[in-house]
Amino acid sequence: MGAEESERVRPATDAGANVSAADILATDVFAADSEVGRDLAVVDWAATPLGPPAEWQQSLQTAVSILLSSRFPMWMAWGPELTFFCNAAYRRDTLGRKYPWALGRSASEVWAEIWDDIGPRIDTVLTTGESTWDEALLLFVERSGYPEESYHTFSYSPLRDDAGQLVGMLCVVSEDTERVIGERRMGTLRDLGSDLSVVRTEQEILAFASGQLARNPRDLPFTLTYLFQDDGRALLAGSTGIPDGHPIAPLTLSSDGPAAVWPAAAVARGESTVVALAAPSLADQPTGGWTEPPTEALVVPLLQQGRAPYGFLVAGLNRYRPLDDGYQGFIELAAGHIATGIASARSYQAQQRRAEDLAELDRAKTTFFSNISHEFRTPLTLIMGPLEELRGQLATSDARVREELEVIHRNGLRLGKLVNTLLDFSRIEAGRMQASYEPVDLALFTAELASVFRSAIEKAGLVFTVDCPPLEEPVYLDRDMWEKVVLNLLSNALKFTFSGSITVTLRAEDGGALVTVMDTGIGVPVGEMPRLFERFHRIENTRSRYNEGSGIGLALVQELVGLHGGTIAAESSEGVGTSFAIRLPFGTAHLPPDSLTSAPESPTASSAAVPYVQEALRWLPAGHSTAAVEETASSASANASAGEPGPAAPPYVLIADDNADMREYLTRILKGADYRVSSVNDGQDALRAIRAHPPDLVVSDVMMPRLDGLSLVAALRTDPRTASVPVLLLSARAGQEASIEGLQAGADDYLVKPFAAAELLARVRANVELARLRTHHARWRTALVDSLQEAFFVCDERGAVIEINTAFTDILGFGPEDLPYAPIHPWWPNAETDPDAHRRTADAFAGLLDQSHGSYTIPVTHRDGHRLWISATFNPAQDPESGRRVIVGTFRDVTAEHHAIQRDSALATLSTCLSQATNVSDALSGTLSELKGLWRARGVLAAVFGRGDAPFVTATGAPTLWHELPPEQRQTLTDLRERPLLTPTADPTGAGILIEHPDGPLALWIDLGSSRPFTSEDQLLLSLLAGHLAQGLVRVHQIDQQRETALALQRAILGPAQLPQGFAVRYEPATRPLEVGGDWYDTVALPDGRIGIVVGDCVGRGLEAATVMGQLRSACRALLLQDASPARVLTALDRFAAGVPGAMCTTVFCGVLDPGSGRLTYSSAGHPPGILAHADGTTLLLEEGRSTPLAIQPDFQRPEAHCTMPARATLLLYTDGLVERRRRPLSAGIDQASEAVHQGRDCALDELATQVMSHLAPAGGYDDDVALLLYRHPGPLDMTFPAQSQQLAPVRSALRSWLAQCELPPQTAHNILVAAGEACANAIEHGHRHTPGDTVRLRAEAFVDNLHLTIADTGQWKTPIAAVNTHRGRGLALMRAMMQQVTVTPGPAGTIVDMHLRIV
Amino acid sequence: MTTPLTLTPGHRADGTSLLTVAGEIDMSNTSALAAALDSTRDRLILDLTAVDYLDSAGLSVLFAHAHRMELIAPPLLTSVLAISGIAELTTVHEAPPSDAGTPQH
Repeated sequence: MGAEESERVRPATDAGANVSAADILATDVFAADSEVGRDLAVVDWAATPLGPPAEWQQSLQTAVSILLSSRFPMWMAWGPELTFFCNAAYRRDTLGRKYPWALGRSASEVWAEIWDDIGPRIDTVLTTGESTWDEALLLFVERSGYPEESYHTFSYSPLRDDAGQLVGMLCVVSEDTERVIGERRMGTLRDLGSDLSVVRTEQEILAFASGQLARNPRDLPFTLTYLFQDDGRALLAGSTGIPDGHPIAPLTLSSDGPAAVWPAAAVARGESTVVALAAPSLADQPTGGWTEPPTEALVVPLLQQGRAPYGFLVAGLNRYRPLDDGYQGFIELAAGHIATGIASARSYQAQQRRAEDLAELDRAKTTFFSNISHEFRTPLTLIMGPLEELRGQLATSDARVREELEVIHRNGLRLGKLVNTLLDFSRIEAGRMQASYEPVDLALFTAELASVFRSAIEKAGLVFTVDCPPLEEPVYLDRDMWEKVVLNLLSNALKFTFSGSITVTLRAEDGGALVTVMDTGIGVPVGEMPRLFERFHRIENTRSRYNEGSGIGLALVQELVGLHGGTIAAESSEGVGTSFAIRLPFGTAHLPPDSLTSAPESPTASSAAVPYVQEALRWLPAGHSTAAVEETASSASANASAGEPGPAAPPYVLIADDNADMREYLTRILKGADYRVSSVNDGQDALRAIRAHPPDLVVSDVMMPRLDGLSLVAALRTDPRTASVPVLLLSARAGQEASIEGLQAGADDYLVKPFAAAELLARVRANVELARLRTHHARWRTALVDSLQEAFFVCDERGAVIEINTAFTDILGFGPEDLPYAPIHPWWPNAETDPDAHRRTADAFAGLLDQSHGSYTIPVTHRDGHRLWISATFNPAQDPESGRRVIVGTFRDVTAEHHAIQRDSALATLSTCLSQATNVSDALSGTLSELKGLWRARGVLAAVFGRGDAPFVTATGAPTLWHELPPEQRQTLTDLRERPLLTPTADPTGAGILIEHPDGPLALWIDLGSSRPFTSEDQLLLSLLAGHLAQGLVRVHQIDQQRETALALQRAILGPAQLPQGFAVRYEPATRPLEVGGDWYDTVALPDGRIGIVVGDCVGRGLEAATVMGQLRSACRALLLQDASPARVLTALDRFAAGVPGAMCTTVFCGVLDPGSGRLTYSSAGHPPGILAHADGTTLLLEEGRSTPLAIQPDFQRPEAHCTMPARATLLLYTDGLVERRRRPLSAGIDQASEAVHQGRDCALDELATQVMSHLAPAGGYDDDVALLLYRHPGPLDMTFPAQSQQLAPVRSALRSWLAQCELPPQTAHNILVAAGEACANAIEHGHRHTPGDTVRLRAEAFVDNLHLTIADTGQWKTPIAAVNTHRGRGLALMRAMMQQVTVTPGPAGTIVDMHLRIV
Repeated sequence: MTTPLTLTPGHRADGTSLLTVAGEIDMSNTSALAAALDSTRDRLILDLTAVDYLDSAGLSVLFAHAHRMELIAPPLLTSVLAISGIAELTTVHEAPPSDAGTPQH
């Protein structure tokens, strides 16, 4: 418009009344851009070689107008002096403060500082006519008042004049500074974080960090790492780019020195500080990756969670970059990495120390054990010494005294032997067995030792053969040790051999000596052979001369032989005999040299042999040993008649009588006849005594208080365990009836007082012998049951326990004296204090009565109150005598196993919980509910005493704040905080512990509700779990931080998005830890005004994928700028991707959009189809132009497709994370995405992006990362113009074209035009009246069914007063009539008019 | 610059004054329109057929002369004229829709 000059009416107020034709031409040359054009117009062109614009050649005019109309940064140089022109984009991005000074000047003057770099390139263009291409070239530009490090990707193209001569060049440039520096910093951070998995010492961590920091001397010209010491000083712990001890790198810094080089005190408070480096010393300072030294340094703390910083990092600053948020953030992240490294190194160190403490504890335990053994030896000596004295003095006193002295003596020897053996063990275990090996004539010494046993063996009726011919060379032995070996083997042989022989032989064999000890004893069962040498292992229930033994003899023998470099082996067959073979090497090569002595002593058996022989003699049958004669004489006959081996104890008689004289009389008579006797006062006591220890005979009075003799007999006979105990009744009542009454009640015999002693003895003896014969079977059964290692019990039909064995009493503490035990049994857990345990036991008991057989593991309570776990099995049986159904069961104590299993499974559950947590708070709340389940607690509460004012509370119930907790709970948690770490505390209401949380100390309280025991096992488990939790939290916290770092980088690479109008983008990382991926989006403003659109998805996850993504993104940008054909871009990207590891199979959608016409050209490399949602509700999938992902088919010509976006259509591009779900076809996800776009038809685009992301998010969050790009056609119109009425026409013209793009009916478009015009006119009036020179902003945005206009000014809205200003009032009326909704919002900063119109 | 506006004074065959306006009328050029209207007396036919845009500032000028003029207006302006109320004060003739003055942008 406006080309017709005829009859143009100029208002008088307009300034430019007399303008020359040349000016008009010049104005037109520069008209494409009002701002830069205006500044170009005022240049004194006549003073330049180009002359006034009116005389410019057509080619120059064309070049200038192309330049000015492009939205892409460009500059050009023309003519002999290369006169400089540039456009608005170049001014904004690159020229900075040189504008408008630079316009019209020589390019070499404008870019003097980089002329050395670019001059030769321009020369090349001007001489050859060929274009240049430079990618990310480092240039120091002075556009902000200082030389600035910058990177530009640019191309110089030749420009020709009308005659075709090369006269200038055009530069299309894009600045890469942010990207290049961002990638450089990312590289440093990635490398710093690359090796934290291997925990090393603090020194190594610092050396590693220094190595990484030194690799980036541009961002970090020098660095210093200082660590605070306990005394407040800071020591230099690492440096890069600067020698230690340099004036600004002192080795030590005191925190409060005023003249300190670095502000240690401030940084100790956690503050970052910029320090200016003093100018005079600059000359000596390091320059890093530059030629000039830094002028400033940044000092940042090495932060420690919840405490004062570890130290600080001083980073010399790149003088060519401003210290902006990105730069400071980079240095702080680097410091964060160093701090994390120090934290893990120190934590590792602390763990090392803990391990050493444990080892020390173990050593202390061994020392204690051997000390205690020593302690035993002193009193033993003091017993044995005086005892020897007494034996000598009392040798002639009566037999009883001598006998008892012998008992003491024998047992003293035995105890001494045990203590010595234990001591040997503790020495061997601690490696402190002081051996002294000397050359010994093994034959002589062994024969000597063997002879000590000869008498005992022969007394046992065995043949003893010692066959030890002299050897040709001596064997190196520790005499004491060898003595123990031989004596143990011989006493072992004697113990288990009842007939035949014992043989000791010695032979030379294979460079060593072979000693065998062979017997013809009972042998060892095959199943027991593997455990023969195991410590404390005894072969149970075998026939032996004596049932005692510690089970350590053979274990000690093996250890001792091992110390001699020898081996011991055993062969045995049951019933035939056993043979032990010891092999000892000759020479000394196998022995430690410092334990050798040369002086041989005379081989004599030491006194150590005495206890062995003494003990062996005690096993032998009576009569064979003088020492045992008196003790066993009276029972010899009984033993013989029973014909059984084993202990020959005298018969045991229980006397029940209420008369003390009678008790004494009976006791004296029976003891005189060598019976063992005890007595009780009445039948009740008798019953208890009999149940505890069934006697061979009960002698009972008939008349007794509480329970008389007849009732006692009746009670005994009804109890299966005592039914067979013989009873002799004594009564003052003579006569047949009394006797019959007694016998009918079940008594075995009846004696009437007074009676003669001989008669009593005869009756007693007869009854005992008769009973022994009769009860042989029952006694055998009792012996068998008692010998069981497992607890044994019999229940009657009601569940009352009526019989138990010794192991039962050992495990539970309840003995036979209180039988029967009726349910509820006293060992059941208390129903009130521990209802859960009680219920478990009750359930198991119910099963025992109802089921035929079964097994249970249940909690029970020992008689002394402590908690046990037993594993019980039971079977029904029938009592052969009464025919009653009984239940027979056995159980084992599995307390230790139970706790071990409980610990293992709790730890495993906790580990799983921690490994699945994605952040610290998840980990904590997951753990709390595990703990709650484990202890079946009412609730679990955790408070972190972090930096905030109030502790942060996590609870298993509803979310709670600190001040909402009851005061006593707050007190409990606060008290916990004062306790040492990982040390549990418990009271009747619960248990608590303090652990380290990344944010500060964490107090954890388990609320057990009612008073329930929290045992020491529970405490151990709690401290284990808490330790595990603390470690888990640190690990999760680190992952959290690393993920944030990675994410920050990802966003840094994606941004800063100067998105063209009409676009909205999103990037959402996957939710699982660290899973930042390689998805990206990009928009590229092309020189011709079109917009390149890219959405891509690299294979893989994490920083590697992000790095590949960064490279592909840059390459794709550069390619689009060179050639705006999506197919050719992707074809070229194929070749590029083939050379980038990890880039293969990346999928990319690449399109070029003309925002004016809506025409979209696109090509897809295996990427999911774009979604085009039309205003009418239909959807078009952009499925054409498809081919394989990148680098699969290099040199393949990719296809390209076109479509035109109609008005108010919305384009959605995305990566597969948005739509791909397991077990669902991709098309379902695409349909869902289309629907989400249609649903948001009335949303602004940015809000639509948010809606689509949330609408498609799976329940647990995205498990793949997602990039998303939205464009709605046409993009919004956004104009800012001066508040001058002359602006109205161009604004209207722009709005009119935009409305045409919206494809509205002409009348609707006109109405909008009028409404907007009125609002603009109003705004201009305000601007004129109040603050001239202000601007007005017009924004118009099309939704699918709506149109939204905003006109904002900086003035005061004028309330229309009809009388004064009629036409303004009309303006508002017009706006209200034309639009559906008009809102005027006056404010202090200006007035905003909002208008909406529904346009369907 | 001022919004382009062409004012062509003339007379109808019957001698009535005719002012033919082409272009856009807004606050930046109403003074020119007002001056042109002020230079005529008696009845006047104002031909707005070639006017693409008329805002309230322009309407205010028209109101001052409404009593002595008739308007020829294109369909696009009908609503503005109706809403402002000037259609009630003066006669508005609709310009033929095929007129060359229909805006082409």
